[in-house]
Amino acid sequence: MSNPPLDGVRVLDLTQVYAGPTCTRMLADLGADVIKIEGMTRMDITRNFVMPENDSTDDYWNKAGYFLLRNGGKRSLTLDLSENGGGSGIDIVKRLVAECDIVAESFTPHVMNKFGLDYDSLTKIKPDIIMISLSGYGQNGPWRDFSGYGMGLEPAAGLASITGYRGGDPLRTGISFTDPYSGIVGAGAVLSALLYRRRTGKGQYIDLSEQEAAVPVVGYALMDYAMNKRQPKRIGNRSHWYAPQGCYPCAGDDNWLVITVTDDDAWRALCEATGNPEWGSDERFADLATRREHHDALDELIAGWTREQDQYEAMHVLQKAGVTAAAVLNPKQALLDPHLRERAFFDRVETGQGPRPVPHQIGAKFSAFEMPSARPAPKLGEHNREVLQGLLGMSDDEVNDLEERKVIGDTPATAVPLPVMRMFVQWPLHSYGQMGALGGAEKDYRAQLGIEPPASE
Amino acid sequence: MTDSALVGLRVIDLSQGIAGPYCARLLADLGAEVIKVEPPDGDFTRRLGPFPGDVPDPEKSGLFIHLNGNKQSVTVDLDSDEGRAVLRKLLASADVLIESETPGRLAELGLSFGDVSGENPKLVYCSVTPFGQTGPYAKFTGNSLTCMALSGLMYITGDPDKEPLTTGGEPAEYFGGLNAWVSVLAALEHRGETGAGQHIDVSCLEALGSADEYNTTMYAWLGAIRRRFYSRHHIPTYPSEIYPCRDGHIVVIGGATGFPLMMAILLEQPELEEHPLFQNLWMRTIEWEAFEKILRPYLMEHDWLDLLTRAQELRVPFAAVMSPQTLLESDHLAERRFFGEIDQPGVGKLPAVGTVFRMSETPLASGPAPALGADSASVLEAPE
Repeated sequence: MSNPPLDGVRVLDLTQVYAGPTCTRMLADLGADVIKIEGMTRMDITRNFVMPENDSTDDYWNKAGYFLLRNGGKRSLTLDLSENGGGSGIDIVKRLVAECDIVAESFTPHVMNKFGLDYDSLTKIKPDIIMISLSGYGQNGPWRDFSGYGMGLEPAAGLASITGYRGGDPLRTGISFTDPYSGIVGAGAVLSALLYRRRTGKGQYIDLSEQEAAVPVVGYALMDYAMNKRQPKRIGNRSHWYAPQGCYPCAGDDNWLVITVTDDDAWRALCEATGNPEWGSDERFADLATRREHHDALDELIAGWTREQDQYEAMHVLQKAGVTAAAVLNPKQALLDPHLRERAFFDRVETGQGPRPVPHQIGAKFSAFEMPSARPAPKLGEHNREVLQGLLGMSDDEVNDLEERKVIGDTPATAVPLPVMRMFVQWPLHSYGQMGALGGAEKDYRAQLGIEPPASE
Repeated sequence: MTDSALVGLRVIDLSQGIAGPYCARLLADLGAEVIKVEPPDGDFTRRLGPFPGDVPDPEKSGLFIHLNGNKQSVTVDLDSDEGRAVLRKLLASADVLIESETPGRLAELGLSFGDVSGENPKLVYCSVTPFGQTGPYAKFTGNSLTCMALSGLMYITGDPDKEPLTTGGEPAEYFGGLNAWVSVLAALEHRGETGAGQHIDVSCLEALGSADEYNTTMYAWLGAIRRRFYSRHHIPTYPSEIYPCRDGHIVVIGGATGFPLMMAILLEQPELEEHPLFQNLWMRTIEWEAFEKILRPYLMEHDWLDLLTRAQELRVPFAAVMSPQTLLESDHLAERRFFGEIDQPGVGKLPAVGTVFRMSETPLASGPAPALGADSASVLEAPE
């Protein structure tokens, strides 16, 4: 095992929220030294999201689960980039650029220009710098100044037009789909630029539009429109290619199983495995075309079987018979799933509030190098002195002066979050439960996950 | 004169389906030479379509063309000694192998990473499968739907009173393909430092699971289990929902500053600024059905582009619900030259979804997909 590939590569990370931080988190996991810049008046809003025990007292901004997922293993430097800092923040960024290989940013287009931190300016400081801008709609074009919230970009990329129940309205995935998606695309773009730099010594600028990055997922429907002028249909959980396919109810409350019957052999295997060989000789289901035609009837028959089954057992019964099937796991079940556990998909990260399971941010295992092991996210401004003195050689006096002028610090200047933040910081669990948006909050969840409570309790 | 990022790199794409081929297509668009090694009857996506006029033809599958542009095609029968010898020969001079066989199958054929890395220790050998090479589900059959199910993402997608819903377009496959692509590039950087290749084990399930925004986190930090709840995955930002409008749908997002004033102006009912549902986020979130009664009628009298444009002028972050047609006809994407065009033999002009990011020095380039076995002769008879 050797060092991870980006050992010695340094990233100046001006991104916030989800897409950009996913990109730089992947680079950190591959060994890069990522220095995340936040302002005390402009801290990453995800420091407000998902508190341990739903408790938002004390320095809650250093405890957020959401923030940890995308920022584990980074270093935190606070800098006031506004005019209040008297230009010191921007000056420090420029000095840091000279020490970095990569600059990542996710401001609205124009902002880096306004700071004098556009790509051309950066190349004057570091000629072979690689710069990536992640934005909602890209750096040019009529929509470039649109405010691009993550929840709007999945529909803007075309995905919602092919997601939804049959005959229903477009729907979104239960995550901000394009954020992680375009973050990964960004990481690959940066790695491509690093390989080019390795060969030629040249840096370059990368313009990534989060809308555009995810459009390839709509490839099938785009081709169908280009070839046949056919508007996409929302087909629920059915397939363009196979029948039957669906999501079927299982024994218990809100338990489900997905099944795809990929061919006639798999169909007969399903009939045998479920103890219904007579379905296999029913002419309505003889081949793909007839199964497609009689999909509703098939769904009823299959649901009649699944309703009596445990979702996990049914998955194993069908998979053993060669039928594609999987239990629909809720987030807790995913955390406890035996396959994901055996593959150690969830890291056990030591936080100040006890160990917590955190999903890997790269879905791959490498045989030749180890990724840095589970690391917590930095506290706000945790590495101010380390970076300013260690990397830029500043004196104690210089750093103290920056602290006095509030260019750097370790406490958010907006002590009371906006109303919308307030509801993120401390979830009104009971009310959301009544709405139906949350299942029960389980008091013994740490025992169930096998993570001990912190020593202080 | 532009260059390409991955010029000089040779990739053997033994994979089929979506994830592996999409990874290899990205490498091809970045300038790598990609040789697709297909079984004699071709990658199975050649049989999936869509097809022009719905007439099946292995050379006209839209999905295959989308995923395999810029590649060469060679047919090899891995069940024969000759076929395996051909693959070994190709791998001896390759930089990267992408494969998506059921775990264990290539080892049975004497083509595991250990088997081939002796002849070519610099080879980056990337396996892309639904569940990875190890673990109890390694040999399960899977697809995007099974990965959506096991990742926990399907459970939290859809309406609360209906079954969980998968996302269209086979997203787990694309997440798997992107993770494979990033991992191959990382392994090439590693090889640049050390000279050594390696084996990469990509799981589409884990690639998708890594994208989980905060659902396992909600349980791991406070014991709460989120349920699917329309398109409202951030409950406290209501509305951030897709609604019907006169000519389609629109994503209504209030954002940090939309309420109460800007939304009242947008809906052309200034008195709504004083309405409790506009003043109070908490009330609006809980009493969302009452808020919808105000919102929906107005939307049904207006078109999506008008709503979108006026909202954004007020810095209210509405978004469009784009369809394939509106994407292809978008002025914005046209000005950014997002869609390329390929001339696919036998099919004609098709849009290429290639420019997924812009590199100033090494732009990505799209190309048509190869006919089955089109390059067998030239590739296999080439001198060493």
